[in-house]
Amino acid sequence: MKSTKAIIGALLVGAFFVSACGSSGSGGSGSGESSGGRSGTDEGIKDGGTLFILDHSTGATNLDPQRIYTGADLGFLGSTITRTLTSYTPVAGKAGTQLLADLATDTGTPSDDVKTWSFTLRDGVTFEDGAAIVCADIRYGVSRTFAHEMTGDEGPLYATTMLAVEGEYPGPYTATADQQAAYEKAVECSEDGKTITFHLKNPVADFNYTVALLAFAPVPKAADTADKYTLKPVASGPFMIKSYEEGKELVMVRNPNWSADSDPIRKPHVDEIHWQFGLDESVIDERMIADAGDDQATIVYGGIQPENLQTVFDDAKFADRRTDGFDGFVSYTMINIKKVPCLEVRQAFWLALNREALRTAGGGPFTGEFADSFINPLLATDYTPGTVTEGLNADGTPNVEAAQAKMDAAKTACPDVYKHATEEGLRFDHGQSELWAKLISIWIDSLGAVGIKIIDNAIEPSKYYATINKDPGDLMRAGWAADWNNASTVVPELFTKEGGFNYSQNWEDAAYPAFSDKVNLAKAEVDRAKQAKMWQELNQYVLDQAWAVPGSFTKSQNLVGSRVRNAYQWLPFGWYNVGAIGLAE
Amino acid sequence: MFIFIARRLLFALALLFAVSAFTYVIFAALPSDPAALTCGKNCRPEVIAVNRVRLGYDKPIVVQYGQYLKGIFKGRSYGASEGVHCPAPSLGYSFRKHQCVTDLITRSLPVTASVALGAFVLWMLIGVGLGTMAALKRGRWPDRLATGFSVVGISLPTFFVGLLAIMVFVIWTGFLPFPRYEGITSNPAKWFMSLVLPWFTLAIVSASSYVRLTRNGILEVMNEEFVRLGLAKGLHRRTLIVKYVMRAALLPIVTIAGLDFAALLGGAVITESVFNLPGMGKLSIMAVNDSDLPILVATTLVAAVFIVIANAFVDILYGFLDPRVRSY
Repeated sequence: MKSTKAIIGALLVGAFFVSACGSSGSGGSGSGESSGGRSGTDEGIKDGGTLFILDHSTGATNLDPQRIYTGADLGFLGSTITRTLTSYTPVAGKAGTQLLADLATDTGTPSDDVKTWSFTLRDGVTFEDGAAIVCADIRYGVSRTFAHEMTGDEGPLYATTMLAVEGEYPGPYTATADQQAAYEKAVECSEDGKTITFHLKNPVADFNYTVALLAFAPVPKAADTADKYTLKPVASGPFMIKSYEEGKELVMVRNPNWSADSDPIRKPHVDEIHWQFGLDESVIDERMIADAGDDQATIVYGGIQPENLQTVFDDAKFADRRTDGFDGFVSYTMINIKKVPCLEVRQAFWLALNREALRTAGGGPFTGEFADSFINPLLATDYTPGTVTEGLNADGTPNVEAAQAKMDAAKTACPDVYKHATEEGLRFDHGQSELWAKLISIWIDSLGAVGIKIIDNAIEPSKYYATINKDPGDLMRAGWAADWNNASTVVPELFTKEGGFNYSQNWEDAAYPAFSDKVNLAKAEVDRAKQAKMWQELNQYVLDQAWAVPGSFTKSQNLVGSRVRNAYQWLPFGWYNVGAIGLAE
Repeated sequence: MFIFIARRLLFALALLFAVSAFTYVIFAALPSDPAALTCGKNCRPEVIAVNRVRLGYDKPIVVQYGQYLKGIFKGRSYGASEGVHCPAPSLGYSFRKHQCVTDLITRSLPVTASVALGAFVLWMLIGVGLGTMAALKRGRWPDRLATGFSVVGISLPTFFVGLLAIMVFVIWTGFLPFPRYEGITSNPAKWFMSLVLPWFTLAIVSASSYVRLTRNGILEVMNEEFVRLGLAKGLHRRTLIVKYVMRAALLPIVTIAGLDFAALLGGAVITESVFNLPGMGKLSIMAVNDSDLPILVATTLVAAVFIVIANAFVDILYGFLDPRVRSY
């Protein structure tokens, strides 16, 4: 839900894996499982027509496959325009997380202790102009991720961190012949152009999931317009872009050169998709509630506004059109271990924070449920309820007594940190927003009850991550969702020195080396059950060390038009499988 | 007269230069880092630093402004081999929208012009019409009706009128489709339908003050001695009102209307947002939300250009109408 994301400041966004195993329900939104009644089924679908998408945003976050990182966008483009070597089963529920071959003939062949992965392309796969998709197109697409200045590192960087490219490779636009040759040694194409082989620096047991990201999608070199490619990416899926005007509309029509015979995943029903941008959120809600005209064939990008949630969820007439589910995110507070190297103070912070007041101020139970892990319950294989710090109230209210006891212990165990927390104060970095202007007083009051002084540092959202990268505070607010159905995209990313989003500086902690070694073992583990167990232990390790404090498993609610069918929550992406949506008569 | 016009035009040019410099400096001084806006979630400082150089934001503000002005006349390129080029007149490049700002303005301006023109005609008809009726029927029910409309119109915020219009005419009654802008050349009927509600919304809100202005202006002129003289000499009342009273009373209104219209061309921010019209106002709002500085600077400049041109036009027009002002 957008408002929830705003609370976090600027969420780090990955693809989501949203399975149907919601955690124990609490609050007005029920169990937290996604539901949609008749709209989630294919009852009465008649092929043809136009599907409309209403959106408050001014435009698509990105259409360039190498620059897309949000789950909804990955799912939307992956189901409509852009194909990848592998993708996911197009069904609702946990079965939707099953990996399938897409452009490739199978889900990949590992060798060299999972340091090398090969994929062979299907026959008959083409771009929208009818040109065959060959290995060089995928290799070129992947190489664009290395052009950091062009992509702004907006997409996932797994290609740059995993591929065994010798020396510096600046991407295809500015690389020398030697640099390009080094890259092409790491990403090899067979002579017939049908097989692509990735050579990795380290073993990656689930690399075939990595290539399901659009960052590994093909891009024909001749059509690459660099920064402007995002306005008109070349389609390989069943739809292609007819026109795109930011602030107004993205119109997609059927791709005449796409063949169902070469695509086992996509089964399109509608002829066109019109994504309309820049609409007032309250108007969107009113239109969806009224359900008139074209709005009967409409879905919404974004959630229902808080003031309309009770209306929609208390009235049975919306039962067939509403959905409610976890969006795959975990919000959390990262603690700077370099500045707060005292476990007692970190635990006191967790115990004293009034999480219930924060949730109420943010919109109540519809916004999410209190998190006990950094791994979302929707990552069913890897999630297990974490053991939170002793004394933490399950209802989110502060336990001042237990927190005070921790602070008293800190006074003797780590007097310098105690003094820093109580006299100088802990600098709390968060994105600047109207909501945070309200929430900060709850932080100051609840932590002040045990003597922890908070120095509010609201950062202009566009500079948030640049700022905390350069000058991390004592406490930093963030959020995360898994990139694929494996906590390998959570624990290493957030808590290892090599991870892209570790602001805790936990490598300063004596407890870090043992943690890091075990992470490397888990990444290379090919036994999935064994690997899951290792992620659970590592997650618990982080909780025990309180390197960060989990906030909420966040949720979102939606309403679709009455003619919409097949609008099920596609769990890998936390949104509908838009390309599969059809319309009833 | 020639010297007067030349002086006014030179003054307008100087004013535009000052406005552009001031606007550029103001936005450059904002806390948002335009280079950081080119960077995504990972936002490594070295990528931001490279893009800062690429965009020219590493240069002193005076040099940046010089490059900006140069771009207007000669076009501008960003980056090396993978870079982009914006031909003259270049108002910058938006790395948020991945487009040259001039292209965005060129696409938005006809939308705003469509909104402004239709709304302007309507509000002048309604405002001046009701104002005249109120003045001529002073103290009677048409006067009370018109002034009542004026009070209500002034009191209602544009977004409220717009949302109410959508609720009533689109959502509740289904009388009109939800406005979706179409270009006048591609589909004139859809163009008209997409603008009916925005026109009336703007007209209702803006006409209200014109009712007051017109009413007061006419009543004031009707108390002038030349009106009484005309009546005493047997001039027909209708001729007197249309030919002399209205002419004198409407002159200041036309001046204000010109400036209001020019301001509207800069973007009807709220109306365009409520009705989702991709005009200059909407573009400005998007730029504010995205902290997209190149667009913010450009939209502000374009709006300023309209105001300055309108101001110069009014000044020159006054020079024709009243020769006494030519000496100023």
